[in-house]
Amino acid sequence: MLRASGRSLSRRQFGTLGAAAGATALAGCSASSPKDMDTLQVWGGVPAENGPQAVIDRFQEEHPGTDVTYTPYVNDDRGNLKVNTALQGGVDIDVFFTYGVPNLAMRVDSGLAADVGDLVRAAPELEMFLDTEDPKAMIDGDEITALATTRIPQMVLFNEDLRERAGIELPTQWALEEYLEAIRALADDGKYGTYVLPDLARIELGPNYRLTAQGDSNFSHPAFLQHFDLAAQLIRDGVLYPWSQALARQLEAYQQNNFIAEDFGLWTTAPYSLRFLTDQEEYPHDFRVSAAPVPTVDGNDWNTGEYGAFIQINSKSPKQELAWEFCRFWLLESAQDMARAGYISLLGDVDDDELLDGVLGEDAEQFFDVDSFRRTLFEDQPRMHLDTELTAYTEITQKYEQQRDVCWLLERSPEKAIDTVDKNAQALIDRFEED
Amino acid sequence: MAIVDTRDEPAGASAGAGTRARRPHRTGRAPSEPRPYVGWLFVAPNLLGVLAFTFIPLISVVLLSFTQWNLVSGFAGIEFVALDNFLAVFQDPTFWRSLVITIVYAGVAVPLTLVVGLALALALNRDIPARGLLRAAFFVPYIVNIVAIGMTWQMLLDPEAGLVNQALGAFGAEDLPQWFASSNWALPALILVTIWSQAGYANLIYLSALQDAPTQLYEAARIDGAGRWASFRAITWPSLLPTTVFLLVTLFVGISQTFGMIALITNGGPGDSTTTLSFYMYQTSFQFYRFGYASAVGLVTFIGIFVIMLLMWRAQRGRALHD
Repeated sequence: MLRASGRSLSRRQFGTLGAAAGATALAGCSASSPKDMDTLQVWGGVPAENGPQAVIDRFQEEHPGTDVTYTPYVNDDRGNLKVNTALQGGVDIDVFFTYGVPNLAMRVDSGLAADVGDLVRAAPELEMFLDTEDPKAMIDGDEITALATTRIPQMVLFNEDLRERAGIELPTQWALEEYLEAIRALADDGKYGTYVLPDLARIELGPNYRLTAQGDSNFSHPAFLQHFDLAAQLIRDGVLYPWSQALARQLEAYQQNNFIAEDFGLWTTAPYSLRFLTDQEEYPHDFRVSAAPVPTVDGNDWNTGEYGAFIQINSKSPKQELAWEFCRFWLLESAQDMARAGYISLLGDVDDDELLDGVLGEDAEQFFDVDSFRRTLFEDQPRMHLDTELTAYTEITQKYEQQRDVCWLLERSPEKAIDTVDKNAQALIDRFEED
Repeated sequence: MAIVDTRDEPAGASAGAGTRARRPHRTGRAPSEPRPYVGWLFVAPNLLGVLAFTFIPLISVVLLSFTQWNLVSGFAGIEFVALDNFLAVFQDPTFWRSLVITIVYAGVAVPLTLVVGLALALALNRDIPARGLLRAAFFVPYIVNIVAIGMTWQMLLDPEAGLVNQALGAFGAEDLPQWFASSNWALPALILVTIWSQAGYANLIYLSALQDAPTQLYEAARIDGAGRWASFRAITWPSLLPTTVFLLVTLFVGISQTFGMIALITNGGPGDSTTTLSFYMYQTSFQFYRFGYASAVGLVTFIGIFVIMLLMWRAQRGRALHD
């Protein structure tokens, strides 16, 4: 039994201890810890070794006495929640990268990003970010709060062995009908044509394709029904990879495994996937890969890829000048280093061949038909997009994906699925406009 | 005058004891009585934990349910919206759909878990070989990490390569279930996995209750010529009623709040076929950043579960067999 003795705490000691513990806890919770003014804190979604660290090393060389600490985060729901909480909670972050328009809109609307409009206008080399017709920045009047660092074009990859076996000529420009012929020809001998169709509605309608000009749901547009319908039909015919298996094995993030395993001979993806094709240890394979553009739909040629990896300055950062200097450096001088991660920079004093070398890696000729990649990624100048109308964006995406899943599992008709998406989207738009 | 026996004590100790004995206590408390704060000191860690991780979040949820807040805008971005969130919740078709899914999920999984748990307990309460090993084996799923459970069952129930469908196919079954890859089968599959993981807990609690069963009544029943079923109906089941209600309440609360398994295996799909209320709360808060609305959903869910618990409790009153 514990007895009150000479060794026990007196009431005063106990109170003092409690107060000290409380003060420590409060100090720990405090967001106003002193910040190191010579160290720039940068948070991004690309692992440091895939390019960011090389950019940072060169920045530090050019700016003696300045340290840059890079904190990588995983670009998923949890990773973004971590960034949002850190930004809101006053963690020492000066510059951060945002991926995906919904996160971008939320951070901008919440005042987390500093306005760099005046700085961009004062820098002639950044003029492209002032373009409101083909936006590459988050622009609201004179205010600019995010700058895209990269374009992420989508392309169609061919397994060369399977393409040649199917007698398909490598296309340089092609329409949807030719694309369908190709995947039907590839779907043979226990193999599928491809994993999933490129977003046909996006190719036809371009940016902000979910909303009409009046801001209502645009899912009643025939392009959406065509996409659902055609895909369901091709799944039924055994041309597309079965959606039931894609869902059961959660393949969305692991499509490369099936392409490497030659389950399908054609794969629509972006340059960041090319690193899997040069990694013979983790992804051994003995076929070469060529690239073709995304097919056109009724003469429309929007690429399904977008501008991305937005660089932003924390509005609460006390190091605004240094942060801007870093942003500028990244925008203008990170091209070669970031190409290794499959990022094609929007700016920079690097020609297309150097970028191509970076994207395809050292043994490019061994793994790729290099000319086809040069043509598809650079010479064709794919038309990228950036959605700027973002009402209920994430919620509508979720409703769309739910109906897509049940449609492609062949449990619901495409008409019914798209009709449900349209109604749900309109209900969400109405509700969010009320708010 | 006090007489102090110092024969077996060192001088100093004796003096000290004498001094303590003579000193009047300031609070009038007996010398051996612990100071009042000592008790608080013992419960303080737990109390702080409850305060920080239960009470404050609960109050926060109540307060947030009357606001619109996206977390990212900080406390300055909290906007009071009175009852708007609650009105929106009741007009939200996804909420009602999630409520139905939750009721079906918990409403089927809980009774079946109890049945399996009770059957196992009755079997393992008998004198059978390797009884201890079997008891432990059936409890293991309950303590296995949720990630391991999710991944294992995902593999077992793979529509093409999974062992379950391969076994069904070997027995000549056709048109095999697509399990987690079907909006019709995903919820039944989830219920199956839930029963598998929770039955060990029900089994353990029932086993301990069976060992407390009144043996004299079984003796009397046997003398009266009662068979096994009659004994079960007249003695075992009534004596297990309080345990059953306890399990019913705890399992219902636990299972209706299942989140990890859903997030890991189905992510609420296919479609919205496994979007329960707890998963919907997660989506509205951590995917859509509508913390005020999610709090309103949480509060309505909490009140609903509380009412169901009360009803269960009232329904069983007076029906148990007492010694």
